[in-house]
Amino acid sequence: MSTNDDSQGVSQSAKPSTQRGASQWAVAWRRFKRNKAGLAGLFIVLFFVFIALTSPFLAPYPPRSFESLYQGEAGEAPSFKHPFGTSKAGLDVYSEVLHGTAGDMYVGVGATALAVAIGLVIGALAGYSRGGMSDILLMVSQIFYTIPLLPIILLAARVFLIIVAQGFGLTLILILLGVFGWATISFIVRGEILRVRELEFVQASRSLGASRNRLIFRHIVPNILTPVIVTSTLMIAGNILTEVVISFLGFGDVNTSTWGITIQEGITYMRTEWWTTLFPGLATLFAVLGFNLLGDGLSDALNPRLRD
Amino acid sequence: MTTRERLLDVKGLKTYFFTEAGVVKAVDGIDFHIGRDEAVGLVGESGSGKTVMSLSVMRIVPKPGRIVGGSITFEGEDLLKKSDEEMRRIRGRKIGMTFQDPTSSLDPLFTIGDQLSEVIREHNRAISKSEALEQTTKLLEMVRISEPGLRVKNYPHELSGGMKQRIAIAKALAAGPSLLFADEPTTNLDVTVQAQVLELIKDLREKNRMSLVMITHDMGIVAEMTQLVQVLYAGMVAEVAETHSLFKKPQHPYTEALLQAVPRIDQRRDLRVIPGNIPNLINPPSGCRFHPRCPYAKQICIDKVPPLEETDRGHLSSCHFWRTLDLQGA
Amino acid sequence: MMAGITTYVVRRLLFMIPVFLGVSILTFAIANASGDPISLIRQGLKSVSPEALAALRAYYHIDQPLYVRYLWWLWDLLHLDLGISLSGTPVLERIGPWVLPTLELQIPALLLAVSIGIPLGIYSAQHQYSKRDVTVTTFALFGYSMPTFWLGLMMIIVFSLYLGWLPSAGAAGVTRIWWGGVIQDRIAHLIMPLLVLTYVELATFVRLMRGNMLQVLREDYVLSARASGLKERTVVYKHAMRNAITPIVTIVGLSFGSALAGAPALETTFSWPGLGYLFVNVTFGLDIPMIVGITVVITIMLMIANLITDLVYGLIDPRVRLG
Repeated sequence: MSTNDDSQGVSQSAKPSTQRGASQWAVAWRRFKRNKAGLAGLFIVLFFVFIALTSPFLAPYPPRSFESLYQGEAGEAPSFKHPFGTSKAGLDVYSEVLHGTAGDMYVGVGATALAVAIGLVIGALAGYSRGGMSDILLMVSQIFYTIPLLPIILLAARVFLIIVAQGFGLTLILILLGVFGWATISFIVRGEILRVRELEFVQASRSLGASRNRLIFRHIVPNILTPVIVTSTLMIAGNILTEVVISFLGFGDVNTSTWGITIQEGITYMRTEWWTTLFPGLATLFAVLGFNLLGDGLSDALNPRLRD
Repeated sequence: MTTRERLLDVKGLKTYFFTEAGVVKAVDGIDFHIGRDEAVGLVGESGSGKTVMSLSVMRIVPKPGRIVGGSITFEGEDLLKKSDEEMRRIRGRKIGMTFQDPTSSLDPLFTIGDQLSEVIREHNRAISKSEALEQTTKLLEMVRISEPGLRVKNYPHELSGGMKQRIAIAKALAAGPSLLFADEPTTNLDVTVQAQVLELIKDLREKNRMSLVMITHDMGIVAEMTQLVQVLYAGMVAEVAETHSLFKKPQHPYTEALLQAVPRIDQRRDLRVIPGNIPNLINPPSGCRFHPRCPYAKQICIDKVPPLEETDRGHLSSCHFWRTLDLQGA
Repeated sequence: MMAGITTYVVRRLLFMIPVFLGVSILTFAIANASGDPISLIRQGLKSVSPEALAALRAYYHIDQPLYVRYLWWLWDLLHLDLGISLSGTPVLERIGPWVLPTLELQIPALLLAVSIGIPLGIYSAQHQYSKRDVTVTTFALFGYSMPTFWLGLMMIIVFSLYLGWLPSAGAAGVTRIWWGGVIQDRIAHLIMPLLVLTYVELATFVRLMRGNMLQVLREDYVLSARASGLKERTVVYKHAMRNAITPIVTIVGLSFGSALAGAPALETTFSWPGLGYLFVNVTFGLDIPMIVGITVVITIMLMIANLITDLVYGLIDPRVRLG
């Protein structure tokens, strides 16, 4: 006769061979750790964040400092004193790239945060409400989705930069990128809410009287988190690129340090002073690359494709 | 087991998956035999290795999996020595397979007529498109699809689960194989449809004199469909027996647990669950892999891997204590 | 089925109208936030006679509130009139000559990117984790991570300024390229921007296709196709690839649609006389009618491309039922 008495004769040194109750996130984290590319992305991103935070201390010159001109060191190739060289106008490119890191990180991450915040709210409202309200919100999302991003931001930057105070330019661009970039997120959020609402077990939960909050937190939020996390990481990459383009075209705030502005100012003497173009560009490349790798790594870790 | 001419003879098969997390020993030394016109059940929980074994026989184990040891002999020929092209001609034509989820085993972009004809024409070059279509229609009739002439133009998403599973069966049988691996053909179907599909498989097997490997975790299906059963656990063989012997007098604690887990209307008792979780195949338990969940386990079970021994004629068990345990059947 | 499609198209068009209105209103509002079209003139940046000024005031309805100005603009639009730019020439007429150069650059780049990128993506997926795969993936990674215009700048530095092989500005030389005639001249001007644009777009397609293929190759129907004894070629190209490429069709369609939006930064870098370059200039100069006009043209193209793409998608994926 079999009994349910497990302890009969079994030494407790026998290790349980499965991880019981490991949370989803711990599993995903372990998976992420194994993804070399994703890890590389994470390190790159952390590196840039570090630089951004310490740039005031790390950079030999303050932002937008033309001191080198007065020291007769303008327009010089990379040297020990000026590792990335100096521009004709007297900017130390190395310092500008460091300050630019802070600037671009600020814009990139900030704009994404804003876009996600708006997108979450509108998407959630659109997903939860019915009828007219939902349609209107969908329409609004569609409008913002259809607007050609770069043209409208160039326009808005041109128009509003005139009014805006000195040095506020970065924040303006941040706001613009956020305000015109939330549509994708709202579609994702709305889509997930609609999908989860119709799932059988949610309807069952509801019929059992589960409160709305419980439903949100236990079912909807985890489902939304994954695509939102992945999309926002990739969005940061995109926003950095867009910022650099805006500044390069001359629509940025000249009183701020960003990679795009450094490139833009170096254009005239590009031939002889290639360093003003090369280094900020490389910084952009690697920062964006880092976020892309991180985004892909997160995507793989959170959405496993491998068959068990 | 009587010395019938063996259609498929698998010895000591080892198939491992080389993943980033480690080496998953999905199949770790399995013997399996089936003769002509036999129906054998391959039983176990998910992760036991039953699906991987059938994929190994057909040599379509997906990366990062690889057959690392053992031998596979089909109709007297060593399959592991065959070239890709030779294997390709065996798949579908000599050995067929149906998959667990009928929805995902059909290409959503092509009509089912296309997909069935494709298989027919692959194995019979001479046949024309219209002839293939005729045969397809007949195939659909064979699996009891009504209005087959219309169905050939349907896309998979337009059909019900039961129909899709029957079409999948048709696809597996399209080229007339002598051996069919049916991997959990009813798991994803409604209960009412399950019975129909099982009936169909039984009929087809008799009509076409085909051998059937019924891969399942459901002992009820085993009882109905098979004469011989093989129970797998964690990539190894737990027990082999004729079906009625297995049910009457199991010789392995895992089998007993499986049988006890089937809910019974005629007995008043609590629903029995097998305690514990499916084992980790990267670091399997030492000794007998079932020991962490076995109510009878003793120290030797942790230390030593139990050998597969013959307990009776045609009855094998890999438990250290098959002699002394008096296990309860269904 | 035709009735279904027609209903679908009609419904979509009806939906597109409010969206278009929304976009145009936003654009109009922002553009005019800097002041009405002739405020620049009034600021003395351009000198103009009093009669001309009065005429302009009437034409742009300066004395009317913003929403009225918008309605006038919309009315003109429905008559296919985009208004008159601050330079005095009608907007449409000014835009005209800049469209072709943009297309000249965008269309070949897109075609090349698709025809190279997709096979590369498939190839990469089939040999996942191999050295070739890693090379291709890294190559693509750099492609979609770098600012397009920056690559252009670097190429100019190397090939124009240092080596002097290729011209750095414009679509055709005022002075002919030293190593060839007219045709070679045009090609010489086209090569660098085209290469840069192709590379960046190609990178995206490689990434997408590879990702889709990896996912599809793990699907049960691929395994089932193999189990039926189909040739590997059939399994990969007939079944896997077709499923993997289906979502990419949408992207390609949208890319065609946004071709007119051009690549303002790239065009500016090469002084390529395309619509992007024009847009940057008129935005800088705050030529409001031009700004609004170009944006509208771009938006309309985008929306039409969107619609066509959805229709095409409905044709290739039987699970999508239109109408």
